[in-house]
Amino acid sequence: MSRLGAVVVIAAAIFAVVLPFFLKPFGLYLISMWAVLTVAAIGLNLTLGYAGQVSLAQGAFVGIGAYTVGLLLPIGVPFPIAFVAAGLLCFVVGWILGYPALRVQHHYLAFVTLAFNTLVFLVLRNEEWLTGGTYGINGTPRPTLLGWSTNKPLDFYFLCLGAMVVLAAATWWMLRSPWGRAFVALRENPIRALSLGLDTRRYTLMAFAIGSSLGGLSGALYAPLVQFIEPNSFALGMSFNLLLMVIVGGGGYFFGPFLGALVAVLLPEWMRVTQDYYLMVYAALIMVMMAFCPSGLLGLVDRVGRRLRSGEQGPAAAAFEPQSTPP
Amino acid sequence: MSAVLEVSNLRKSFGGIAAVDGVSFDVREGEILGIIGPNGSGKSTLFNCVLGQLQPTEGEVRVDGRVTTGMRPCDLNRLGVSRTFQLLQVFPQLSVRDNLILAGQEHQGSMASRLFGRADAGLGDAADRMIAFFRLQHLASTQAGSLSYGQQKLLDAAMAFMAGPRLVLLDEPAGGVNLTMLGALRERLQAYHSERKATFVVIEHQMEFVMALCTRVLVLAEGRIIAEGDPQSVRSNPKVIEAYLGH
Repeated sequence: MSRLGAVVVIAAAIFAVVLPFFLKPFGLYLISMWAVLTVAAIGLNLTLGYAGQVSLAQGAFVGIGAYTVGLLLPIGVPFPIAFVAAGLLCFVVGWILGYPALRVQHHYLAFVTLAFNTLVFLVLRNEEWLTGGTYGINGTPRPTLLGWSTNKPLDFYFLCLGAMVVLAAATWWMLRSPWGRAFVALRENPIRALSLGLDTRRYTLMAFAIGSSLGGLSGALYAPLVQFIEPNSFALGMSFNLLLMVIVGGGGYFFGPFLGALVAVLLPEWMRVTQDYYLMVYAALIMVMMAFCPSGLLGLVDRVGRRLRSGEQGPAAAAFEPQSTPP
Repeated sequence: MSAVLEVSNLRKSFGGIAAVDGVSFDVREGEILGIIGPNGSGKSTLFNCVLGQLQPTEGEVRVDGRVTTGMRPCDLNRLGVSRTFQLLQVFPQLSVRDNLILAGQEHQGSMASRLFGRADAGLGDAADRMIAFFRLQHLASTQAGSLSYGQQKLLDAAMAFMAGPRLVLLDEPAGGVNLTMLGALRERLQAYHSERKATFVVIEHQMEFVMALCTRVLVLAEGRIIAEGDPQSVRSNPKVIEAYLGH
């Protein structure tokens, strides 16, 4: 990371810690939602942005995680155990969902994952005995950890922020290890990767499983944040929104999901000044953004930075440049 | 010397057409074997069958006496068999150094140990040595996608050697490379061969390159071996001339 990048990250970290003290409950809710959805977007960025495996099912994993916590907390399971259980369950389900990726790629894989999302939605809606059906699950409590109650919005925000930082740091560790290089190889040239000894099957499954697990952990925070979960929250709209976060922020860039989630969570709220037209304005802004920077905001920053430094062209093959070889 | 690679009666058909039709040959330790032939003679299909990219219809492949027919390319690579492809196959988003580390990292410990081990998998020095060997020092931190075609060819070849393979199969390493870079590539391959006593199989159209590099040459036409021998005798073989010139 460049010195300027480090300064921006430190400034953002200070801002994330100081800002909430000046916010009202709704503002705290929004930035908590940002932290929670950033975790899910980091997971999708791993699966899609780094490993190049298209997934339209991340919303379903947020749902599985949310329902796991929503069902376990009322029966007295401590939050840390429920949190880990949500991650583990999604790891296993994500691993299984990875198998189709061994056979199909790109838009075919997108449809497989999309079907999975729909399947999860139908289970959440129809299996009333377990999930409460369309009535959902009400009043998921916010946890008390080592005597620290997170019931107040400010406390819960710091729980979400802490979880996000820890999970992001763990992901960063993994991406800087040989695994990160292997995921990029999987995205850029799986045939060559295979010929260099990479077990592409295992790495593909691992990319799905870990990405899904982060979705589940995000869901485990989502349930106590909103305190009412129902199937529609985890339908395709959530998956598309998470995909938007990854692409707007910059797929394959570590900080892309942070920025993308910020845009996707906060921009619609800022657009409310346009009253009834806010979603239309939001959609138009996103379309303009994608038309002018298809590699996302960080892709744009990267390209501009390179041109300023050396006059060279942008990254040779940013994963989301439309003219590049499909990942 | 013992045979590193043994190919017995290999056949690969696509529908009713046999792209490789009963090919048998051995590659001895330390040898540089050239495989030449006109376009469509089955050279790349033969490579892909030997290297597990394609499942042969019939026949057997052995590496160091062990049957490897149909083995996955990643498993073959871990047995010490490495390759380059006809079309460039580097990882454009990774730096030259990371491309080389990637080419060797799966030979270092288990998958789990690589997660918790060093970021460079302990291959940083080896990558730097390989970069120096292929004279790419000034490009070590450059993204591979930003290199010229010839430099990418050098990197591609360097990647094939990164894990210290016993056998390297090079598929048209000189294809599309300008004369200056071609000389550099040949010289580096010869240097690597004499330094490490590595065994090479080279598919190539560029006859001068093959004649200068290889110690023995096989000629394929229509999926069959039509001639075999030292470069000079193959060059003057009437069957080879006919296959190339078509009369």
